[in-house]
Amino acid sequence: MVSTFGFEMDAIQTENLTKKYNLGWGRGRLLALDGLNLQVREGEVYGLLGPNGSGKSTTLKLILNIVWPTSGGAWIFDVPCDKVVSRLHVGFLPENPYFYRYLTGAETLNFYGRLCGMSGTPLRKRIDELLEMVGLARARDRRLSGYSKGMLQRIGLAQALIHDPRLLLLDEPTAGVDPIGSKEIRDLILRLKAMGKTVLLSSHLLAQVQDVCDRIGVLNLGKLILEGEVSQLVRDQRRLSFTVQDLPESARAAVESAVATAGGKVVSVEHPQTTLETLFLQALRKDERGAGDHD
Amino acid sequence: MTEMRKEWVGFSPRRIWTIALNTLTESVRQKVYLILILFALVLIASASFFSQFGFGETGEQEALEQLKFIKDFCLGAISVFGMLIAIVGTAQLIPNELESRTIYTILAKPVRRFEFLLGKYLGSALLVLVSLTMMSVMFGAALKFKGDNYLRMAHESVRQAQDAGSAEDLVRQAKRIHAAVYDADLVKALVLAYMKLALLAAITLLVSTFSTSMVFNVAMALMIFFAGHLVGAAKEKWAESALARFLLALIPDLGVFNLADDVILGSTSVPWAYVGKVAAYGGVYLIAVLAAAHFIFAEREM
Repeated sequence: MVSTFGFEMDAIQTENLTKKYNLGWGRGRLLALDGLNLQVREGEVYGLLGPNGSGKSTTLKLILNIVWPTSGGAWIFDVPCDKVVSRLHVGFLPENPYFYRYLTGAETLNFYGRLCGMSGTPLRKRIDELLEMVGLARARDRRLSGYSKGMLQRIGLAQALIHDPRLLLLDEPTAGVDPIGSKEIRDLILRLKAMGKTVLLSSHLLAQVQDVCDRIGVLNLGKLILEGEVSQLVRDQRRLSFTVQDLPESARAAVESAVATAGGKVVSVEHPQTTLETLFLQALRKDERGAGDHD
Repeated sequence: MTEMRKEWVGFSPRRIWTIALNTLTESVRQKVYLILILFALVLIASASFFSQFGFGETGEQEALEQLKFIKDFCLGAISVFGMLIAIVGTAQLIPNELESRTIYTILAKPVRRFEFLLGKYLGSALLVLVSLTMMSVMFGAALKFKGDNYLRMAHESVRQAQDAGSAEDLVRQAKRIHAAVYDADLVKALVLAYMKLALLAAITLLVSTFSTSMVFNVAMALMIFFAGHLVGAAKEKWAESALARFLLALIPDLGVFNLADDVILGSTSVPWAYVGKVAAYGGVYLIAVLAAAHFIFAEREM
């Protein structure tokens, strides 16, 4: 997105963002975030990675003005974060949300829609659309106290999307969700990206976010220690791998010698393994096809 | 996207109302209120099922005593259950929001903090209003049921009166019973009882803006509730000390909201001017409490 001044606009920008928490009673202060300079470009999926307590949630809370920076600042689409206006185009999914246990899925979305100034037929249509999108259409009139963890996470995503925001902040969207739920959430994130949304997500589950993020930043003890495009970061420039199908065992020596002749070195030859997750998903899919449709 | 700079998020009564209704719905659907309210309603209804007395020479006295008892019992029950609902219903609001993390989702939307706080308060005040209305209707029904019984008996005695003199006497008796049943001062007592509970809910919310524990909130609110009923007596006792008067003025004088004793004794009617004066006191105190809650909540990191 280009502003009228011709500059590229960042969806999120933080400048030297620092947060110290008072531990109270003379126990000093905890440095949760240390001079973070972050730029999330409009339209990308940015993954904020790091171990527990590295400052991921603090970063999101600072951007949403739920806590205040000790120094530095943050901007959403160039609007300072301490302005209520900055949150007009933001959707947020907190970590481990429980929501209002006594409301149904549809009532929950109705509540958040009204908070965003929506009402009447447009809101009703939006609720139906979102429940369909996150796969909760059949659970719409069930109370959230009866929702599973994965369902709560999905209603949380729907809630964040209710006013069709341009930017989504997702705090550990796949934590505590089973592989199918996690896959569904990642597919949703990719769909949102295709719709042109910007996503900033935090996670400590590295493998899960690898295939959805365009760029990642790694936080440790409040400091950004690594940042870059996922495809660049994980590529091993010196190595190349072939996956060959139906090669006779007798031809293997010839291939290896050809590599050696060209000056390369065969590091390993092995049968590729599928991931346990892929296997799990395949098995479940097969089982479901046999058992027919169920919830 | 320069038009974004022109966007403006103003103060929105609609958002406050949305949060208030959500708070009310959440409370009503919790079984604990249902049980509390049902228990209160059963208790109030039971007041009219005490033994019936015959209507005769001492009948009027009996009837008036009975009606007095129903009023005393019911106003007491309304006061106690109202207090429980106001305190428990409010004390859990902010701790629950933090626990379910819904507060983050709400504040992440274009919602101002005081809209959130005011919405929560209104939801709680509505819950108290609904509960108090239900209890009052039940109280009214119990009083009318019992009172109409006595009036029927009184009219029967008038019809059977031997001479004009005693008939006139009996008519006067019936009128006194009628006045005891259809007593406008009861409405005043209930209006002030509601104002007291609305103020109590605001004080509980104020406590919960700086604490995170529901138990602490309930304990503090209970302490303030009892202190608020003792403060009137304390003011009289230490009337000479300026410091004592200043400190006591900080505690809400909840005793002034209690019309139960005046209404039950029924000797003189409570003037509306008094009700207005107490309502004004409650209103000013309520605004001060909500303003304090706002200033603490606006500075709170969650």
